Amino acid sequence: MNQLLTLALLLSGLLGLIAPHSIQAAEKSDLAARLAAARDGDTIEVDGGIHHGPLEINNSITLIGVNWPVIDGGGQGTVLHITAPDVHLEGFVIRNSGDSLDQENSGIAVEAAGTTIVNNRLEETLFGIYLRKAPNSVVADNSISSMDVDVPRRGDPIRVWYSNGVRIENNTIEKGRDVVLWYSEQLQVSGNTVTHGRYGLHFMYCDDAIVENNLLYRNSVGAFMMYSRRITLQNNTIAGNRGPSGYGVGLKDMDDALIENNLFLDNRVGAYLDNSPREVDSIGRFTGNVFGYNDIGVSLLPSVRHNEFVSNNFIENEEQVAIEGGGTMSDNTWSVAGVGNYWSDYAGFDANNDGFGDLPYRSERLFEQLVDNQPAMRIFLYSPAAAAVDFAARAFPLIRPQPKLVDEGPLMSPDIPAGAPPLPAEQNGRLWPLLLLVVMAVGLMSWPWLAPQSPISRRFPKYGKAKATL
Amino acid sequence: MEFSNVLILMQKELRDARRNRWFILYMVAFTTLALALAWLSLAGLGNYGLAGFGRTGASLVNLVLLIVPLMGLTLGALGLASERESGTLLYLLAQPLDPKELLLGKFFGLSAALMAALGVGFGLTGMMIGSFGGLTHLNAFLWLVLLTFLLAISSLSLGFLISAAVQRAATAVGVALFGWLLLVFLGDLGLMGTAVVLRFQAQELLWFSLANPLQLYKTAAILNLQQNLDLLGPAGVFALRTYGARLLPLLIGLLAAWTVVPLLITHQLFTRRGAL
Amino acid sequence: MIHVEQLTKRFGRLTAVDNLSFKISPGEAVALWGANGAGKTTVLRCLLHLIPFSGSVQIDGRDMRRAGKVARQKIGFVPQNLTFHDDLRVDETLLFYGRLKKIDFNHTAPLEALLDRLQLQPHLQKAVGDLSGGLKQRLALALALLADPAILMLDEPTASLDVSAREAFLSLLLDLKQAGKTIVFTTHRLDEMSTLADRVLHLVDGRLQADSSPAELHLQMGWTTMLHLSMPAGSIDAALTVLGQHGLEGRQNGRGIYVSVPASKKGLPLELLYREGIPVTDFSLD
Repeated sequence: MNQLLTLALLLSGLLGLIAPHSIQAAEKSDLAARLAAARDGDTIEVDGGIHHGPLEINNSITLIGVNWPVIDGGGQGTVLHITAPDVHLEGFVIRNSGDSLDQENSGIAVEAAGTTIVNNRLEETLFGIYLRKAPNSVVADNSISSMDVDVPRRGDPIRVWYSNGVRIENNTIEKGRDVVLWYSEQLQVSGNTVTHGRYGLHFMYCDDAIVENNLLYRNSVGAFMMYSRRITLQNNTIAGNRGPSGYGVGLKDMDDALIENNLFLDNRVGAYLDNSPREVDSIGRFTGNVFGYNDIGVSLLPSVRHNEFVSNNFIENEEQVAIEGGGTMSDNTWSVAGVGNYWSDYAGFDANNDGFGDLPYRSERLFEQLVDNQPAMRIFLYSPAAAAVDFAARAFPLIRPQPKLVDEGPLMSPDIPAGAPPLPAEQNGRLWPLLLLVVMAVGLMSWPWLAPQSPISRRFPKYGKAKATL
Repeated sequence: MEFSNVLILMQKELRDARRNRWFILYMVAFTTLALALAWLSLAGLGNYGLAGFGRTGASLVNLVLLIVPLMGLTLGALGLASERESGTLLYLLAQPLDPKELLLGKFFGLSAALMAALGVGFGLTGMMIGSFGGLTHLNAFLWLVLLTFLLAISSLSLGFLISAAVQRAATAVGVALFGWLLLVFLGDLGLMGTAVVLRFQAQELLWFSLANPLQLYKTAAILNLQQNLDLLGPAGVFALRTYGARLLPLLIGLLAAWTVVPLLITHQLFTRRGAL
Repeated sequence: MIHVEQLTKRFGRLTAVDNLSFKISPGEAVALWGANGAGKTTVLRCLLHLIPFSGSVQIDGRDMRRAGKVARQKIGFVPQNLTFHDDLRVDETLLFYGRLKKIDFNHTAPLEALLDRLQLQPHLQKAVGDLSGGLKQRLALALALLADPAILMLDEPTASLDVSAREAFLSLLLDLKQAGKTIVFTTHRLDEMSTLADRVLHLVDGRLQADSSPAELHLQMGWTTMLHLSMPAGSIDAALTVLGQHGLEGRQNGRGIYVSVPASKKGLPLELLYREGIPVTDFSLD
């Protein structure tokens, strides 16, 4: 009997293994055949099903998926190659690429101009969408998540390489490595959400890019921008980026950058400036941003100059502005024509009610200077002794340090830009454990020991009678 | 050792704490300040809701560092000294009691009272944070309460040590206040000065600073709230890189040692000295 | 019952108790007697092991250092300064110490009897801090007797009492002595010692000066009282003989005799003469 059962199980198992294979094989050959048979300008619609990759699109066709057809790479190589220009790909689930970083195994690899990749889902792919010399392509409304491996073994969810005029819009990207853009001009990156990756955005040699309305949240670094000119970063929300480095935005050798109306919140460093701008006649402009609740609002290397900070809001950063290595700053501007920034730690007043503080804002906390000089001293952060040091410096001008910066026109109230995307709503914790905590605490304090109405006193009944005799 | 005796003395201590003006003052002050700070960091700038939970928690850490050691030290310092001074200690020890039971009963009683004070303060504050929708890390918040309790009982234990060592209650309070100054300000200030002059490396600074129970608490609390120690600069990064997942248990263990060791010394002093 | 050997207690350079050895049997009432600063209170505190000491103290066969907790269960203690927690009420105080002494609050009859006897019933709900000295003393005795201990230790038990309260309190203690309690108490009062003690340990500067009965102590110390007895002239010689037979030295003086008696035995000559049928018409103390 037992042997019979085992045999039956074995047989059914075998059947189960064989059957899907034959079906998938049929479908795979089906889609591959349809792609091979297509002519330029054809539109192919695929309704559901699982199709085996790798596949290649080498005609300029429009490929539309209905009911989320799947192209499964089977864990080998790149799932979908696009080698013909002006291909339109929409509505597919692309999954299971190989995991070789050397071979840059990708979900979708594009090597042709004018490709449009819209509304696809990329799952378990090493690299997501790789545009290699694919100018004027559009990558929009896709959702991309990388393989669930350690960050160094992940690939880039989006990589752009020598592709001018690419638009990357409204994609949702999580747990990848870097969204990285190289040697490409006039990029438009907007409305994307990048979370839990390494570098939310990484620009290298990309002039004239516009980066707006993106949410870069809980990555190691929000956006790191290098060697590019005339980049515009506006209306982005860049928050909770606290990995190693942990910059909201990092600028290295960036000329004429415009950083405007962004929210930099709860990062380790809101904005980090290294040799930016690089050229003598170029100016970095920071306008209308919020640097709030970061460990450091803005951190500059000592040699950094020619930046203009106007109408920004510096709110409750542990250190509003830091100069790494200490010292004072030169040739950076904190107010233009009497208009400065809002500083939450400004202690002055506005007697004439013009909206500007009557005294300049001076950043001259002694503890900050100590930390800038000797970063290890940051271990005393939150220590009441740190506050005592600052207090002493205020009380005894003798030990008051040179101000790091002076803002001649501090704003009296913050002005929070409205254009940036909201932070993702996090689930609020349940309140009952806290209620329980309070109830237990009150219960503990009113432990009814020795009280006349307590159960203990019932064992000692004379308590009640004694009252009558009094 | 009989637990029933410890329990009786613990109840007595709780009852006394309830009637202790200082204790009530501490409790009210802590609760009010915690609520005010949390409210400021949540809603301070026109309710933009930009501050994350980490920041709200950090502002509580700041408050705890100031007020909780003061609570523990002064209550502990009065714990034995005032009863010794009034003579009730002598009478208590004439009862069929082990001095250990007396010591533990008083310690547990005051610990429970401190727990209650922290429970009220943190509980109400947490509920307020939650009502603003900012209670996104309930577990971290509850851990913060636990860590704070550890700090409270280690200060209490130090207070007991003072209480066992000095003659009069007024002296005990004086020494406790000095101990508070030392832990909260002078120790760190001295270390800061030394570090500036000798240009300490991050790891040296870490070791020296962790000799202070307040720094142990702060480091553990920030690690709990932020999941890393970047906030504390190179020394924090060094600590986490060296010890990784063992760091939090290590910090908690050291904090617990700050409770147990002074208590053991207190017991030694207490038995050597008797009721006078 | 109580066995003390080579008890020594030093406070810094001051030797408060110096190499003290004595034994106390069950049912004995022993006074630790001496001037202020003689070390009486310190001895009592050592007996209870409230303070560390050198030498050994055994109570009811238990070493106080090692098993003090168990031994103290058998000891009721009344301290000199009646320091209870002033904010507790009388009933709460009884409950607190009663629980520490593990008395059975389900079986309240002995407790009721004790409270009746000490007349504490009407005062149960008063705060201890508001009690008068006499009431406090009664409360202290009630607390000491809660667990019906075999031994009572009292430190200057009547110090805080006025004359009538003292009388009442002493009679209470006498009753307890009659009931067979072992009593150890410190006092500097002669009358108290004479009334209550079977035995006196006389302490001078922490050393045991004498261990004797109160009467003997009186004699040793030369505390005698001159008693003038008036009697018919014919009885005088007979009276002197009778007194002489009992070790009392008298001499004739007019129509009576002067006789020197220990302070606590002033009734003795009268009793002796009465027994022999020698009339005494009057007496006075000199």
